[in-house]
Amino acid sequence: MQSQKALWPWKLLLAAIILMMAAGIWGATKQIDYTWRWQRVPQYFIYQSETLQPIPFDGRVHKIVEADKSALLTLESDTGETLEISVDTKTLEVSEGDELFEGDYLGSISEWRFGPLLQGLGVTLWISFFSGIIGMALGLVIGLCRISSNYCVRHLAILYVELIRGTPLLVQIFIFYFFLGTVFDLNRHVAGIGALAIFSGAYVAEIIRAGIQSVPRGQMEAARSLGMTVPQAMKNIILPQAIKRTLPPLAGQFISLIKDSSLVSVIAITDLTKGGREVITSTFATFEVWFTVAAMYLILTSLLSQIIFWMERRFAVSD
Amino acid sequence: MIKVENVVKTFQGRGQIVRAVDDVSLEISKGEVVVIIGPSGSGKSTCLRCMNGLESFESGSICIDGLNLADRRTDINRVRREVGMVFQQFNLFPHKTVLENLCLAQQVVHGRKRSEAQQKARALLNKVGLAFKEDEYPSRLSGGQQQRVAIARALAMNPKVMLFDEPTSALDPEMVGEVLDVMKQLAAEGMTMVVVTHEMGFAREVADRVLFMDQGKIVEEGTPEHFFTNPQEDRTKLFLNQVL
Repeated sequence: MQSQKALWPWKLLLAAIILMMAAGIWGATKQIDYTWRWQRVPQYFIYQSETLQPIPFDGRVHKIVEADKSALLTLESDTGETLEISVDTKTLEVSEGDELFEGDYLGSISEWRFGPLLQGLGVTLWISFFSGIIGMALGLVIGLCRISSNYCVRHLAILYVELIRGTPLLVQIFIFYFFLGTVFDLNRHVAGIGALAIFSGAYVAEIIRAGIQSVPRGQMEAARSLGMTVPQAMKNIILPQAIKRTLPPLAGQFISLIKDSSLVSVIAITDLTKGGREVITSTFATFEVWFTVAAMYLILTSLLSQIIFWMERRFAVSD
Repeated sequence: MIKVENVVKTFQGRGQIVRAVDDVSLEISKGEVVVIIGPSGSGKSTCLRCMNGLESFESGSICIDGLNLADRRTDINRVRREVGMVFQQFNLFPHKTVLENLCLAQQVVHGRKRSEAQQKARALLNKVGLAFKEDEYPSRLSGGQQQRVAIARALAMNPKVMLFDEPTSALDPEMVGEVLDVMKQLAAEGMTMVVVTHEMGFAREVADRVLFMDQGKIVEEGTPEHFFTNPQEDRTKLFLNQVL
């Protein structure tokens, strides 16, 4: 048998299939007569905002120092106060010695601002980050309770895991926000992060439990025979090995968490998904925006899997 | 040093109760090397594991250096600090280097300083002839080397008694010798040792006393000479005929 099979026909086939799918999508949009307006999208990432600068009192322009980009105005009020305000040179609307009334515009300042898409990305990031951290801690504790020898503790952990895994996240978010949020007076961000953390905690707990149980019994026995207590053995021997084994499923869980965080948009948290919806209402570029939003989630999750992949390689030195 | 009195250990298995250790009594004095032999499933490993509390037992008592294992108030970890254990499967910590394997428990349990623990670890690695492997991970060592590291790891805790649970059973035949050499050296230094093994040569050469166990009971007990030249019980004769 040939040991080295030619790869190029398969590469060619792969390329052909991908091209055909792209052509299919293009053809489908032609069919429904949709005009793509990709040029409308970038301004929702980042845009230049102009803020008009009014004079805060009745007075006159004492002096203007014009530089390349901005001009520094020294203003003097009727009562003798002086004030310095800078505006962009191009937008300067007054000259030295002008008498002005309160509220007259001197010019404007333009600056770069993040649009709803990048702001939404930021919200998605920090919501996922905090709920991930809390979920991980929660999962670790619950996972340990899950294998506890104490009947009560163990069954409480099982109850928690079953309750959370058995109900939809969307429903949990509603309950968290409308019920718990009302009872404990939580704001929407706390409720959103809380619901996501508790949701991912249940899954992390099961992953951690499986990881701990996959460490051979002999490891615990060896640690105990050296005189370590159970917590010492857990911390130094079992958990480091368990975490290493569970990195791939944990990575999957956190990637899920980033994607699931899109559900918090239902309680009016302006994350990436809700940001996208808001952009659509002002541009009607539905297809473009959803494709963009999907791509942004994709970038986020592939970054995370790269990080985890890198961690796995670092931990693999002892294999 | 070790006093085992009427210990009974049962397992629940498929509707029937198996008496793994059935009313075993034995006494081991300081500096003595006791070898326990017997067919598989005769309860010798279980008996050994009872001696450092890895298995609980239903009745009887085990005293190690005055500490009673059957007493619920006894701090089991204090007993284990006095008793070193070497396993069939080595059970080295795979995520730690050889040196860390030896240092970890010293630091965590005895609260020794890092430098002090490392000094002790290096001395012991030297003793088992593996000083040059201190920065390797266990997976890069051969079975015999791993077992020698495991012995050094147990010794690092300054145990008064060493228990060996079939230390050479998982090894390639050519590696058995290096592990037995370390154990012989230990015995010569006057360490109290209880060894469960199938190595009859080791039993004959090193043991002060040999116990033969079958079906949870000690069938016969005596010096190696008595055992290998003039066994009394039929069961012992049968076993020795098969293994020798």
